[in-house]
Order: sequence, then structure tokens, then C-alpha cells
Amino acid sequence: MSVDDEKLMAFVDGELAGAEHAEIEAALEHDVGLRAKVEAHRAMRSRLSGAFDSALSEPVPEQLLAAATKRGADVVNLAERRAFKWSAREFGAMAASVALGLVIGVGVMQAPPQPMLAPTSNGLVAGGALDRALNTQLASDQAGAVRIGVSFRDQEGDYCRTFDLTEGGASGLACRENSSWTIQLMSDSSAGGEIRQAGASPEVLNAVDAMIAGEALDAESERAARDAGWR
Amino acid sequence: MTSAAEQTRSEIVAMLPRLRRFARALTGSVPDADDIVQIAVERALMRIDQFQQGTRLDSWLFSITRNAWIDEARSRTRRGKVFAPAEAGEQVGFGGEAEVHAKLEADDVWTAMRKLPEEQREAVALVCVEGLAYREAADALGVPIGTLTSRLARGREALQVMLGGAT
Repeated sequence: MSVDDEKLMAFVDGELAGAEHAEIEAALEHDVGLRAKVEAHRAMRSRLSGAFDSALSEPVPEQLLAAATKRGADVVNLAERRAFKWSAREFGAMAASVALGLVIGVGVMQAPPQPMLAPTSNGLVAGGALDRALNTQLASDQAGAVRIGVSFRDQEGDYCRTFDLTEGGASGLACRENSSWTIQLMSDSSAGGEIRQAGASPEVLNAVDAMIAGEALDAESERAARDAGWR
Repeated sequence: MTSAAEQTRSEIVAMLPRLRRFARALTGSVPDADDIVQIAVERALMRIDQFQQGTRLDSWLFSITRNAWIDEARSRTRRGKVFAPAEAGEQVGFGGEAEVHAKLEADDVWTAMRKLPEEQREAVALVCVEGLAYREAADALGVPIGTLTSRLARGREALQVMLGGAT
């Protein structure tokens, strides 16, 4: 898709204002091909919303209304309930992996936990659980102590990844340099809830916009870069 | 619970139809969508004090719903359970004979959406189905705005190829 097509898309989505909007309007006056493209975009938007709009007119199931109107202590977590049912059903397999976990656990417990950030002569680098997450975890993976956001290459060709810590709400940006992850930026604010937990700290995103070369990696290239050791 | 939280709570109830629509666009299945919305609502209520008054509740809830879907998809893959197959006729809400055409049309769109990569589908769902502005959608997904627009453009291009121009 060319730059013009993205601009056209932004026009259809109501994202253009002022001179940019007027420019497209003027071009549409005499460009039949452009008009057809705008029409195709509009038709697609209305097909998409039309296909899912029935959700708006259907009555909301009792169960959902009940979930949304429960009070404090009544809130029972559906995900946890399910996890319990599953572990009961799969108990044999669980027992086997618990036994394995104990063996591994004994080894782990002897080592003190490593700090997630370590100052070095190259600046602040990731250590411990953060280093492991940056090396191995994909954006689609279940978050442990660290949730991975966007991965991309910077203008020097190094891989960079955004992350946030599930405890405390700090988020940051790290780039792969000299076989370690150098912390470029940490943004420490515990406010904001879920949106912050999705890694959307404005400072971090602005830094990404300033450093990114091309586009962010999609799921497939993220996996490939991980498998190649971020080199 | 503060009265601000009470206010937020009633706004969450009012958002349920839109959350169901968004979750259907994400999951491609009515029962899966309702499971995800239930998990998301429970999580939102547990963190209701984290919601900042004056920011957009819909973006916050979409973000929670999307994360619930990712977690659920992940744990299902881990325990080897496949997603509810999207059968023709699974989508409820279509009445009599007269709406057969609309239903077939919707089936095509649902099928095409399910074929999109996750990151394109969530961008399309937020902007084209839910009508969020680029900035809000990017915030809800935790990506820079340029990343959102390129995923959106690729998603739309793929949908255009799958669905063609005509309805």
C-alpha cells in the first residue's frame, strides 16, 4: 500500500483535518479512480460494522449482566474457576509436571533472585527476569513478571523492544547492544491501570516513534528474530 | 467503593453491547466472545479504582477485553483445546427468511476476519467496527500510532482481497 493509499484510508476514517482534508476533497472532484477507492473503503467499513452490529440490538445475557453488577467480594474470577476445573481434569499430567517443577525448583531456590536492572559501563542493562523476557518472550506470550509490547529495529539496525513490569506499572524500552539489552528509557508511573499494563506509556511510545526504522515487527518476524538470538 | 467507581460501574453495564460486538470481531464466535467479555468485566471490576476519571472508559475496557482474549487464546493453545469452530448459523440474532441474505453476508465477513493475523484483526475491529480514532485505538493496543495504521492498512487490504468489492 503506497503512502497515498494510507492517506486515503485516514481520510475515510475521519483522521484528516484542515489542509490535508481539503487536498483530498479537491482531488476527488476530478479523479474518478480515487473516488472509486474511497467508495470501496466506505463500503468495507459499513460491511464490517454491519456484520457485527447485531450484538448491539440483542439482549445482553443474564450471566453477563450478573457479572457486571456483582459487588466486591462476590466477584468470582471466571478464568480462575476454569483453571481449577482444568487442573482437576488433567490431574495426572499436572502431578507429573509438579514433580518435575519441584526438582527444578530446588535448583532455583538456592540462587538469590537477580535484579532486573543492572548498572554497567555501557549504561543500565536488563538482568534477571527482564533479560530473560526480552530474550525469549513474545508479545503474544502470557505475561509473567514482564509483559512484552512492540519489537522493532532502530536506525542502526539493532533490535529494540518495549516492555512493562506487571508489578508496579513501570514501562520501558530496551535495545540489543553488545549481547545485552541496554535500557533506553524507563517510565515509572503506577497510575493508568490496564492501558499502562499494555505498554502504552506515552514517553515510551514517543521514543519508539523517534527511533523506529520502518515498521514494527509482526508476530512472525518477532518469532524469527527471537529464534535468531536478536542478531 | 467510591461514588466515582459506582458511576464507572454503571457505565460498564452500558458498554456491554459494544464489548460483545468488539469481542465477536476478535474471536469470530458468539460463545467465545461472551466468555471473553465476562472475564474482562470481572477484571475491570477488580481494578475499577485504577480507572482514571476523565480518560476514556471505552478504550480502557477494549484494552482489558483484548488482553483477556490474548490470555485465553494462549491458555487454550497450551491445554490443546481448539476454539469453538465457527459454524454457519452460529451467529444468533438473525430472524426469518427475509434476513438470509444479510446472514450469509455476515458469515463471509466473520470468516474473512478470522483469517486475519491477530494484530491486524484487533486494529480493524477497533477502528472499523468500533469506530475508535487512531490515537485511541493505538493507546488501547499499546502500540505507536504508525504501527496501528500500517496494521490497519494491511488488514483492510487482505479483507478487500478476501471479500472482493461487491456485497
